[in-house]
Amino acid sequence: MALLRTAERTAVSAAPRTSRLGRDFWLGYALTLPAFVVVVGLVAYPLGYAFWLSLQDIKVGGQGQFIGLGNYARLLLDSESRIYGLFWNSVKVTALYTAGALAGKFIIGMISAIILHSQIRARHFWRTLLFIPWAIPAVVSAFTWKWIYNDVNGVLNTLLTNLGLVERPILFLADPKLALWSVLIAAIWQGSPFWTMTFLAGLQAIPRELYEAAAIDGANPLQQYFRITLPLLTPVITVTVMLSAIWTSNAIQYVYILTNGGPANVTETFPLLAYHEGMTAYDLGIASAIPLVFFPIFAILIYFLTRRMLRQEG
Amino acid sequence: MAEAIRPVESSRPGERGLILWLTQKNRAYYLVGYLLLLALALWTLFPVYWQLATSLRADVDLFSPTVTLVPRVLTGEHYEKILGPSYPFLRQLRNSAVVAIATTVVSTLLGAMAGYALTRLRFAGRTVLARLLVYAYLAPGTILFIPLFVMMSRLGLRDNLVGLTLAYLTFTVPFATWMLMGYFRTVPIELEEAALIDGASRWQVLWRIMVPLSGPALVVAAVFAFTLSWNEFLYALVLLQKQQVMTAPVGLAAYVVGDQYYWGQMMAAATIMSLPPLVIYLFGQRWVIAGWTAGAVKD
Repeated sequence: MALLRTAERTAVSAAPRTSRLGRDFWLGYALTLPAFVVVVGLVAYPLGYAFWLSLQDIKVGGQGQFIGLGNYARLLLDSESRIYGLFWNSVKVTALYTAGALAGKFIIGMISAIILHSQIRARHFWRTLLFIPWAIPAVVSAFTWKWIYNDVNGVLNTLLTNLGLVERPILFLADPKLALWSVLIAAIWQGSPFWTMTFLAGLQAIPRELYEAAAIDGANPLQQYFRITLPLLTPVITVTVMLSAIWTSNAIQYVYILTNGGPANVTETFPLLAYHEGMTAYDLGIASAIPLVFFPIFAILIYFLTRRMLRQEG
Repeated sequence: MAEAIRPVESSRPGERGLILWLTQKNRAYYLVGYLLLLALALWTLFPVYWQLATSLRADVDLFSPTVTLVPRVLTGEHYEKILGPSYPFLRQLRNSAVVAIATTVVSTLLGAMAGYALTRLRFAGRTVLARLLVYAYLAPGTILFIPLFVMMSRLGLRDNLVGLTLAYLTFTVPFATWMLMGYFRTVPIELEEAALIDGASRWQVLWRIMVPLSGPALVVAAVFAFTLSWNEFLYALVLLQKQQVMTAPVGLAAYVVGDQYYWGQMMAAATIMSLPPLVIYLFGQRWVIAGWTAGAVKD
């Protein structure tokens, strides 16, 4: 919300004496109006509306009652309330999930990008192949992984039993100790191609001369990686981490389909908690408040990303 | 690491034989690289293969206590069933297509208009608007789904494909605009100036010069709008409750009744709905990767 307010202020200060409207103002406004309507009507307004809902005690189909910051107090402070424990659990789960997914995607993305950037045979073929998970709908891969993990006839368990490695099936998705890891693996499988792509683009932008000079000075490939590649890739890594942090923490498909938050809420990230509160407990006030508590974090990320993206565009 | 290996490339074609290659300086890195690549390929392909293999396996095979990596008997029965009248899947595929195509057309059109204005015209509030678009693009759907649910309910647009299309515009319009702005900037302005001097209007310049010159960028914007909408899950889950209006992703999730999973059918449905994005990706890779680097993709 803070973002929007800043934007508004800028708009007001830059406004509306006719002479300052600019020479193409008429056509400019006509052409941008539809996109502007979408942004204001379907993004900015709902955002404000979410905030308004979060200040009410309101159920699906019922009349709302204004309760100020009551919902936030229940979430954050009121250890008596049912939702308090669920909320703080979701904070923990979301943090673990996001950190784990980012780490996994970073490692796989980096290794893939480095390999795809080196002089391997059939580079184009390998690149096509490694990007395939991106092209698969998330819902589809979530179900595929659920089937792979299945305790009855799931391929992973059948292989492990046939090889004599386990006596009875491992409950990948039902064991509280394993569930988050299992979900993470599926999310990493799908998410790493994006990282590979941005890292690959970053690697291609590093001038070759640097490596040639380093090679002449006797630096081995590992030294070159840590002294040249990694430092020069830092801006790309920063942007990728920020973007992926927003998208990963907000993705609901894997947790919804693989575990639906269970077992014992160990995979209930905040979007899933908001979904459950809104769509199965019908509490729209709480459901709106949950993501808004996280909003400041996203706002900061979005602010820095936007600045960078606009700067890049010149 | 990779870059260091580059000088090897300068070696003459005759040196490309395996034995010679193995004697070269950085061969250890190459060996490790190829092994890792193989592992990555397996990791990438296995779930896709397993999905396809399951969809073609007879139920007896699926539920036998020993698993074979290759189906013992191939069958199309799951495809027949899922596409047959006992499932609403065919209709849901159609719903997905309708929403994805509508979203694609609208967002590419609005994106081209706004993108042109924001790169070429001078008017107050231009930079603010450009910034708003980026904010909107990055705004997470988890914050918007509850208010959109309430709004669409009030407007009578729940369980309605128009309502869903409107919800999808929240991310496709900002993206298309952003993407096209980047492209329009690279189109030389002289062409337009010449046309303007010849008496063309700005509107004509946009449709007669800019749009024809921006073919590839428009394709990228369209491809992404289509795939993002085709794959979208959260808004569809929240806004669509009737099976008849569901899109394929939520339809698939809804086939799970209690603990009953018909894996053969589910994987057949999953395979069918993976096809459009997969085909677009495999045949339009050039465009997909161009859009990707423009910051297009949600991972």
